[in-house]
Amino acid sequence: MESVIAGLIIAVIKILVILGIVLGVGAYLTWVERKVAAHIQRRPGPMVVGWHGLLQPLADGVKLITKEDLFPRYGNKFLYNLAIVLALVPATLVFAVVPFGPEFELFGYKIKPILTDVNVGLLLVFGLGSLAVYAIAIAGWASNSKYPLIGSMRKAGIIISYEVAITFAVMGPLILAGTLSTYEIVQRQIEQNLWYIWVQPIGFVVFLFSLLAETGRVPFDIQEAEAELVTGFTVEYGGMKFGLFPLVEWYVEVLSLSAIAVVLFFGGWSPINIPFLGFVDPLFFLGPFSPYVWFLLKVTALFLFILWLHWTLPRYRIDQITEIAWKVMLPLALINIVLTAIIAPIVWR
Amino acid sequence: MPWAKADEFMDLKERFPELEALELKNTTSIHIKKENLIELLKELKNRGYKLFIDHSVVDLKDILEKEKDFKNAVKENLIAFPEDRLSRFQAFYTLYNVDEKKRVIVKTRTDGTLPSIEKLWFAGKWAEREAYDMFGIEYEGHENLVRAFMWDTYPYFPLRKDFPLEGIPEQDLPSLNEVLWGDKLEGTMNYQRQHTIVPTLEDLEITEKRRLKKKAQIVLNWGPLHPGTHGTMWFLFDLEGERIVQTDVILGQLHRGVEKLAENEMYNQFLVYTDRMDYLSALCSNQAWVVAIERMLGIEEDVPEKAKYIRTMMSELQRINSHLLWLGTYALDLGALTVFLYAFKEREKIMDILEGITGARLTISYPRVGGVRMDLPEGALEVIRAFIKRFPKELGDWERILTRNRIWLRRNKEVGVISPEDAYFYGVTGPVIRGSGIPYDMRKLEPYDAYPEVEFDIPVGDIGDCYDRYLVRIEEMKQSVRIIEQCLNKLEKMPKDAPFFAEVPKEKKIKLTIDGIGLKVPTGEIYSSGENPRGELGFYVFSMGGVKPYRVKVRPPSYYNLCIYPHLMKDRVIADAVTILASIDPVVGETDR
Repeated sequence: MESVIAGLIIAVIKILVILGIVLGVGAYLTWVERKVAAHIQRRPGPMVVGWHGLLQPLADGVKLITKEDLFPRYGNKFLYNLAIVLALVPATLVFAVVPFGPEFELFGYKIKPILTDVNVGLLLVFGLGSLAVYAIAIAGWASNSKYPLIGSMRKAGIIISYEVAITFAVMGPLILAGTLSTYEIVQRQIEQNLWYIWVQPIGFVVFLFSLLAETGRVPFDIQEAEAELVTGFTVEYGGMKFGLFPLVEWYVEVLSLSAIAVVLFFGGWSPINIPFLGFVDPLFFLGPFSPYVWFLLKVTALFLFILWLHWTLPRYRIDQITEIAWKVMLPLALINIVLTAIIAPIVWR
Repeated sequence: MPWAKADEFMDLKERFPELEALELKNTTSIHIKKENLIELLKELKNRGYKLFIDHSVVDLKDILEKEKDFKNAVKENLIAFPEDRLSRFQAFYTLYNVDEKKRVIVKTRTDGTLPSIEKLWFAGKWAEREAYDMFGIEYEGHENLVRAFMWDTYPYFPLRKDFPLEGIPEQDLPSLNEVLWGDKLEGTMNYQRQHTIVPTLEDLEITEKRRLKKKAQIVLNWGPLHPGTHGTMWFLFDLEGERIVQTDVILGQLHRGVEKLAENEMYNQFLVYTDRMDYLSALCSNQAWVVAIERMLGIEEDVPEKAKYIRTMMSELQRINSHLLWLGTYALDLGALTVFLYAFKEREKIMDILEGITGARLTISYPRVGGVRMDLPEGALEVIRAFIKRFPKELGDWERILTRNRIWLRRNKEVGVISPEDAYFYGVTGPVIRGSGIPYDMRKLEPYDAYPEVEFDIPVGDIGDCYDRYLVRIEEMKQSVRIIEQCLNKLEKMPKDAPFFAEVPKEKKIKLTIDGIGLKVPTGEIYSSGENPRGELGFYVFSMGGVKPYRVKVRPPSYYNLCIYPHLMKDRVIADAVTILASIDPVVGETDR
């Protein structure tokens, strides 16, 4: 009985910590993005609200929350609001299976820094990821307007195409690790002394492309396409309801998928890897905190890379995006699986 | 001057006995009865006059009513078939022979109906819509004769001479104060409650319905307030999924009746309206207008060299400025936001230079008939030299982001292909026609100001897709830098006190001042054009002497460039709509005027 209560308390604490981190960081990533974009574009970015605009996300939040709640005439109010929930909840739920660090002991309890280490963790990730398409399709439909409808149909087309590619892309690491549990995948990489990126470069590229497509980042941001569709499926949303969509799409989802990419290809919380030999940890002086810092660093680096792409490249057209998915990415991923099956025995030893 | 000789049309007299070919002071015109008009135009097209430049109508009402004016006009051969005193309108068609580089004007008289030339030149269809809108000319055989700028239920024809300049006040439009509080303003604060009519929502709905018969799933209203249209243009896309089945454009959101204003302003007063037509290239438009009037006065030679070089240099700066805005918005439309900000940063520098020299940033009005308004300020040349030294490097940086970028190539290659035949058929000019491989550039064909003395190349494209037009414009910026450099070298050698305004010899009897008040232009007509960043900006000026022109027809490059848009959009997706529109680069101030 005692262990059940302790387990519950631990779970609640984990949920609070993860939610706090994800949503707080998500909001602050808007500031990061604006700063990064500004410096790429040779301008200072937000400078007025707080030191170097540090309070800008708060100001934005207050502004968005206090705005008038507009609703399009002849729209479907239930679906209109459901879309927001459907967008926010699955994207946040993905963090339930993201392992942040190795197991540690506190007051005699063994604690894994992962909410639920289910043995089908990855399946859960993609199951929840696919739910995003409902949110967007419903948002486009419920708005009763032409631009949102076109935007949501575009997005649905992309997600359907890239769900296939991303599922086959992660097949490589799965074969090498032999498990679907995210925590176990990291453990295997540490045991095998190998970040899977070294033997899975193709898989990683396909995964990265799919990540960009699923989160609607440039060069795949056609569902927003401010020049053509104004802002796509969020046209009819206002205030915080509008703010939630980019928050979820551009930050929470990018963050969760980046974390999954780090788990799958960059050995999760492990320090720098020399293939098959071992790990070098320049941050050894941090002691038990070193794994968390490593995890954070890797996710940040990936996130900044995505931002860099976003603020440099133009965007593709819808038919070109789906064409890349089916004609390039999917065959690449399939070839990758075959290659992986050949090299897998070397990794297993 | 690139005008055809009258002799070459003499053999046509056998086919059309009433035909007259005349060489006037500034133009060459052919007079023809309207029954034979189509046949003649067809023949001219076969003879190489392939490019349609302009068509419109002159309302001769005032001339026909005043005996003195009429005699004057007949003496100068301005009116076709003067024995016909009943036909109120004179239509003119300006055509260009691209291979032999010469122009001709075909004139005919009508009382309200004309045959449509839409089979010969598509651009003519749009010109006819404009003439129908402004003069009420009915075109026989026109496929869809709807108004070009006004809404379809508008009852008047504004450019007719009997339509008053201030419009007909007939609608009661009280202010909100008046409605709510019964506000009665007295004395000088009083204002007219009667206004000219404004369109209601029903009017707009009728206008929209007349444009497009719905064939496919959705009619998408793209504009008038849409970031992708670069202004207040209203596109209608008939969509099948994302594929566009048919397109139409509703113009006129920015229509201010510039041509009507021109008939009621002095020549230098109209200069400020040319600023407001193509507001992104004000200096080039100013230059085109000023040169047209100088040619009409015959004082082109008297304009001092310094003024010519200053004008040339300034309009090339303006060309870079305009192309930078195009590059920025083009990249923005395709999703590359960063290039937009880079381009605007450089553009800001040009704006600062222009502000320092002329005192204005957007609507400049710096050139004057006979020179420029004021001399270059101290240090202007150094600033410009510093700018053009740095600019090519910046341009190279942006090109590295875009030109060989795979995404950029895939979005632009094979999109919106304009073949040379299409280019003639739709009457496009400027970078759009040069993208299709035709070196049509007024700066070379009909050099004005200092252009004959500077060296530059005309970039042309290969197949005429969006990518070619992109490359053409980028290369044009580099050529502009070359021209500016040569102008700078020349200007630096000139003495500081060299004149910048023309001294007209006494015997010409022209009262020329910088403010231009009382400038009288002799009876006559001219079609003169300049190379704007968007294409050939032409002015057809019909003068009956005096301080005001009788009729000014502006040939807006954007208007005719835009007329190919529905053709290019057929069977493309919405994402290409922005690409193609931005590569055509229309400015609404100019299409609507």
